[in-house]
Amino acid sequence: MTQKLKAKSYQLNIGWLYPELMSTYGDKGNIMTLQKRCEWRGIEVKIINIDQRSKIPDLKTIDLLFAGGAQDREQSIVIQNLKKHETEIRKLIEKEVPALFVCGAPQLFGKYYEPSIGKRLDGLGIFDIETIHAGPQKKRLTGNVIAKIINKNILNTKYPILHSGIIVGFENHGGRTYLGKYAKPFAMVIKGYGNNGEDGTEGVVYKNAIGSYLHGPLLPKNPGIADWLITKAITTKYKQKVTLAPLDNAVSNQAKSVIARRLGIKL
Amino acid sequence: MLNYPLIISGKAISKFAKVLNLGNGSTWPGHIALNLNKKFIKQFLKKSKTKIVIIAGTNGKTTTASLITNALRHNNGKVIQNESGANLLNGIASTLIMHSSATGGLDADYAIFEIDENNLPLVLKEVTPDALLLLNLFRDQLDRYGEINTIGEKWKKSISFLSKKTTLILNSDDPLIAYMGKDTKNKKLYFGLHDSNHKNNHPQDDATDSSYCPNCNGKLIYKNKIFSHLGDWKCRKCKFKRPNPDVDFFENYPLPGTYNKYNTHAAIALLKHLKMKTAIIKQSIKDFKPAFGRQENIKYKNKNIQIYLSKNPTSFNQSLNTILDLDAKNLLIILNDRIPDGRDISWIWDTEMNRISKFKNIFVAGDRAYDMALRLKYEMGITDYQTRVKVIDNLKNGIEKAISYLEDDQILFMLPTYSGMLDARKILTGRRIL
Repeated sequence: MTQKLKAKSYQLNIGWLYPELMSTYGDKGNIMTLQKRCEWRGIEVKIINIDQRSKIPDLKTIDLLFAGGAQDREQSIVIQNLKKHETEIRKLIEKEVPALFVCGAPQLFGKYYEPSIGKRLDGLGIFDIETIHAGPQKKRLTGNVIAKIINKNILNTKYPILHSGIIVGFENHGGRTYLGKYAKPFAMVIKGYGNNGEDGTEGVVYKNAIGSYLHGPLLPKNPGIADWLITKAITTKYKQKVTLAPLDNAVSNQAKSVIARRLGIKL
Repeated sequence: MLNYPLIISGKAISKFAKVLNLGNGSTWPGHIALNLNKKFIKQFLKKSKTKIVIIAGTNGKTTTASLITNALRHNNGKVIQNESGANLLNGIASTLIMHSSATGGLDADYAIFEIDENNLPLVLKEVTPDALLLLNLFRDQLDRYGEINTIGEKWKKSISFLSKKTTLILNSDDPLIAYMGKDTKNKKLYFGLHDSNHKNNHPQDDATDSSYCPNCNGKLIYKNKIFSHLGDWKCRKCKFKRPNPDVDFFENYPLPGTYNKYNTHAAIALLKHLKMKTAIIKQSIKDFKPAFGRQENIKYKNKNIQIYLSKNPTSFNQSLNTILDLDAKNLLIILNDRIPDGRDISWIWDTEMNRISKFKNIFVAGDRAYDMALRLKYEMGITDYQTRVKVIDNLKNGIEKAISYLEDDQILFMLPTYSGMLDARKILTGRRIL
């Protein structure tokens, strides 16, 4: 049974991985959306930056994890450092702490990333995915995207906003990501390229961790995903089911409709 | 002469396009000439005595070019420029055609070319400028230009092939730009900003693009940060550091905003390189009128409107801080995502808006108005958003509505993206520029 606790009693620590190095495509917008949607409901939030200076105790307190996109040079700096935090991050994901990794981030959390020039970068292997950069001559996969969430773990939460499961975003990636045997896709593209421009899949999900190529940023125009992450964070932390108070999503719906209309999709 | 027919027909095409009002007719002749002869620009310039200045960088190209052109004309120089928006090879070819004399030479003492970031390496293969002025590299239109480090690497490579006759005019405060001068034998002049003159009122500025050393990837440390990644920097690892600027101060700036101090210093460094007398430089800057859309004042229905082109996080933040320092109360933001604006508008979330609630009325228009509205809502909170922000579907109605809120002496400050600026100007002046 759903139990309503006084929202005030909830407190979440949102961990932002490498905010300086991995903040290329308005990623601050994803953090702001999580933070404000908690605060507007009286849920206390602390944003904890996880970077080169962080220690293991910082990571242990994280209730929701986020990482954004990085430029190639920054990505190679991050990957060297990320290995230090590998065990703790893996522990968080395994105990069902929700996470969102967008743009370049999923590449780091997959099995490996093969850049167009230079050595193959081994990722943390949390997602069973492989990413290969097709080389500077191959075209980047760029443009507005509209997709439908197909991942049952996310859809079954029965969030009104997620009902149609339609999400919008913008993609811009040279890398092509392929799902392995154990990987479950996050969504299927209706318009756009998605993981590789071939099989129609977009993103990947493992436990409560979502990887996605969509920025835009993703959460402001798709607040249902933000609410799903917040719900999962509370459920995991307080071992309690929770129903978040509804918020007015009119502006995000209108922003979403502009893209849907342009791509000829009815919401 | 091989190119002669191309020039004659090019001039005719340009006239034809203008008469029929075919819009951007200014790049057609160049486009055709280059299609018929790839080496057109190189061959054309071989015999020319015109001094060529190339300006590149993310922000400030047009203002800096205008400052330079204005000063050179002040000094009775004959100056030609590529037209706004015509900043690819075909734009240069067109400019050459339009200003060629009957003998095939160029009818000008100076040619000032603004060049798009991506096209600079292509242009430097065809043109050997007297001076190459590099302003800055900020994050801008990642979908079109790509990452700034990638652009930086391409620039560095093409500069290594540059003739030693070209003087480099470089921003000492932008690590990636200063890096362009490293290990080159070319003559170099640096411009920057003197720290003690600058008070940083806005310490929390910007998403950082380039706080890592372009030479060794080490972390940069700043003795003083002006905005974004500009400042007095040094690499802890390889000791690469900000070169001493040759120009870092001026007494009377023609336009408000810290970024315009950089543009002014850049122009002065270049004019000094051209051996212009200090008194003439000063006088010309005093008489300067801004280029369209760059802090331009327009009177519309007896109301005052000022336009501040704001096309990426840095230029948006700088515009916002500049107008707030002028005590602005009424703001109209126009957000478009057409090709000249960049299709990806995620950059709006990288802007700093912590002073946004100082505005009384905020109007939002453009193709992606609701995205900007959403950005404002998350910044301001629900109540503040509802009382101050109005989303307008149609730009003309938006402008009318916004000016109806102005009290007598108030100014409507407009922060548009590039195509938004062109649309707004057309409404305000009744004319098209391009």
